[in-house]
Amino acid sequence: MVLLLTVFSALPALAQDAAREPAYRAFPSSGRGSPCWAIAQLHLNFAAFILGVPIFAVIIEIIGWRTGDARYDWLAHEFVKLIFAAFSTTALLGAFLLFLFVGYYPKFWTYMTSIFFPTYWVYALLFFAETFTVYIWYYGWDWLSGSRKAIHVGLGVLSNLFGTAILLVANSWVTFMISPAGIDESGALKGSVWAAINNFTWMPINIHRLIANIVFGGTIAAAYAAFRFLGAKTDEERARYDWMGYIGNFVALSAFIVLPFAGYYLGREIYAFNQTMGITMMGGFMSWLWIIQAILIGVLFIGSNYYLWLGMERIPGSERYRRYVPMMIGILAFGFMVWATPRSMVITLDEARAMGGTHHPVLGFLGVMSAKNTAVNMMILTTFLSFVLYRRANRISTRSWVGIGMLIQWVALGLAAAVVIFYGVYGYFVESLVRIGFSVYQVMAVLGAIVVVMAVDIPMFKGARSTGAIRWGTIAPRSQYVLILLAVTFTWLMGLMGFARSGIRQHWHVYGVMRDNSVDAVTPAIGYAANMITAVTIAFFALVMFVFWLGGLAERGKAGGHGHTAAMPVFSGGSDADPARVPRPKS
Amino acid sequence: MRLPVGVKVGVFALVVMGTYTYYANSIPQIQSKPPAELSLEGGNVTPAQLVKAGEEIFKTKGTCEICHRIGQKGTRAPDLAGVGARAAKTKPGMSARQYIIESLLQPGAYLVEGYPNIMPQVDKPPIGLNRSELWALTAFLESLGGTPDVKLDDIPKTAGAAAAGGGGAAEVKIPGDPKAGEAVFSGKGGCIACHKAGKIGASPVGPDLSQIAKIQTPEYVMKKILDPAGSGTVAGFPKGVMPPMFGQSLTAKEYVDLVAFLMTLK
Repeated sequence: MVLLLTVFSALPALAQDAAREPAYRAFPSSGRGSPCWAIAQLHLNFAAFILGVPIFAVIIEIIGWRTGDARYDWLAHEFVKLIFAAFSTTALLGAFLLFLFVGYYPKFWTYMTSIFFPTYWVYALLFFAETFTVYIWYYGWDWLSGSRKAIHVGLGVLSNLFGTAILLVANSWVTFMISPAGIDESGALKGSVWAAINNFTWMPINIHRLIANIVFGGTIAAAYAAFRFLGAKTDEERARYDWMGYIGNFVALSAFIVLPFAGYYLGREIYAFNQTMGITMMGGFMSWLWIIQAILIGVLFIGSNYYLWLGMERIPGSERYRRYVPMMIGILAFGFMVWATPRSMVITLDEARAMGGTHHPVLGFLGVMSAKNTAVNMMILTTFLSFVLYRRANRISTRSWVGIGMLIQWVALGLAAAVVIFYGVYGYFVESLVRIGFSVYQVMAVLGAIVVVMAVDIPMFKGARSTGAIRWGTIAPRSQYVLILLAVTFTWLMGLMGFARSGIRQHWHVYGVMRDNSVDAVTPAIGYAANMITAVTIAFFALVMFVFWLGGLAERGKAGGHGHTAAMPVFSGGSDADPARVPRPKS
Repeated sequence: MRLPVGVKVGVFALVVMGTYTYYANSIPQIQSKPPAELSLEGGNVTPAQLVKAGEEIFKTKGTCEICHRIGQKGTRAPDLAGVGARAAKTKPGMSARQYIIESLLQPGAYLVEGYPNIMPQVDKPPIGLNRSELWALTAFLESLGGTPDVKLDDIPKTAGAAAAGGGGAAEVKIPGDPKAGEAVFSGKGGCIACHKAGKIGASPVGPDLSQIAKIQTPEYVMKKILDPAGSGTVAGFPKGVMPPMFGQSLTAKEYVDLVAFLMTLK
């Protein structure tokens, strides 16, 4: 932190020096782009984790506080413990990245400073505020308990507000590089810095990153729980981490379902800012990137569903719903295949002649947005159905209106599917501008169905009869590898999307304003990007494991570090009627 | 022997990432390289060469092909087949070349019915075509159903201004002779006394210039030679060592040759 502030306070001097410095400096033995890319991605991974986890940690803490259930409090504390250990690593990587920019891209940094200098101070102060609030939140867990719990929860909320504000400030820099605003033709700031902050892609990226951070935090926390589950020595420990993994995955899945909609919004704003940029992103040299993205998202959808289905095996009464699984597998698999179908193939001239063009005569129709939007919306609906079935796996509603309730739910799901398919097919017969608007109807239909189904489901299963206790800890070990698969895949996906976001600028530091005149101005092909993403993901997980290990080391032999283990829940297979809620501890 | 959980999980994660990486390396690899600058000003160029250069711009730097097709109706932009003939009749009182130039520089001035106003000004960043490139592109478009008759003077002098913000779209071509510049570096200029430059020189007094063109712009190098103190001192080297008299001691040709030589050091 001191390091960071020292750097910030020295920025005016650095900027003045930089004005006389070279535009670029050579990096020993490689281009300067790769080290900056690697450190930026690592920093973003850690930042996403420490910003995402507190959002759901505080919600879990509030649930524990209002219900008086100490197990939620324990879980919230476990989650905060994870991010607490990763805080300093995030700050160090941020400072390292800053040094790389100032050192290797001095002219670019000078320009960014000329626009955003006032925000640097805001960022530094927010970082201070965030750090101290989280410190007090974590260390004050027991001190601010009981009658002072409201203050403690308030600190959690406050740390999230500071964290989100940090995200908004940092996003303004990144999005300005993509879609600069508030500047004149010479690139100088015209009026207030707010115009540069509030550029075309700022708000869409704010929303997208906020949601993605929750997904990311959830998957990493679930992977941590999975790791602990696999290494557990006792049934109680297994039960505890089974539950923690379930909650982590539940959080990730809930946020993940709405993430594609935020992605659409971002894509639409990129097109609104600059058609060329939008078209380059989707149909230019990056077009194959979206095929890989489709595969990764397909893995995430199928993995999440598979985890829920495996989880149902530990819930007595879930047998009733197994007959739906083949249908859901079919929809997910077909949706996956549609989404991963490329529009045009890179083939030889002879092959193209034989096929009548670069578009496959049959499968080519599945490569367009109409088909892909339909596929992803159907996959979201299916995943939601999986969750609903899991939620009611061991419960039987005692409401007199259960028949009508179920009918409303199936009609809502059926209608949503019909709307999605109708507009998917109709989209082939209209102009592209009209077709783009159809995706809004599809999204609204799916979101509407989710709201209706849950609005009926919650009262319908309140006080429901249980068909048996959830046997926490008895889930198949392969389910834990699914959680790890989800964490690794989502981290990799974040790297890929980072490459897409940055790569659409091509040879521009600031799109259309400041050109990259260095020898490294080439935007690499997807293979190189994949190698880099994998290297960074390996480094990230290695660092995360090291940081978690360090965090555990501090607590080892101290009976819970700062004494919070008193609240650690004990599980014995549980007996709660609601699989989406926690089991009761062994008394 | 039971493998530790960490090893099993680590291997699993590596297999997952390895699969993604392998797949990403197996599909078509397309890089995005910065477009090269075309300069035809002052040169003799035949109409055929001009059309060929214009076609290249159409497909690369101009990014026209992203929306426009030739002989195929597009959903984003009109088919350009026959535009060379059609353009002469589109706006009364405007020749084909005038209409095409206006379409490139002010795309919103006239919209083909049924198409949205989404085309960017091609002489402005990020596309940023210069006058030579606009000339060639216009000739190519005229050739699609017509006869190219555009002259460089038809392109407004204000068209193709460089990108702002310190970036600069145009790559400056140094007119000097690098070979002669190397001689100046080793001889009259005396630069070799303090600087290393690739295979020549070894003195550590001043910064190693072996990769100067990689990290510096020509503008900086030119200014640094004439005004060393005013251009700052590279960190780690003493200030005020480089003499400020090269503006007087070198002839204009020697100065330009020297810069040309330095800009070959990559």
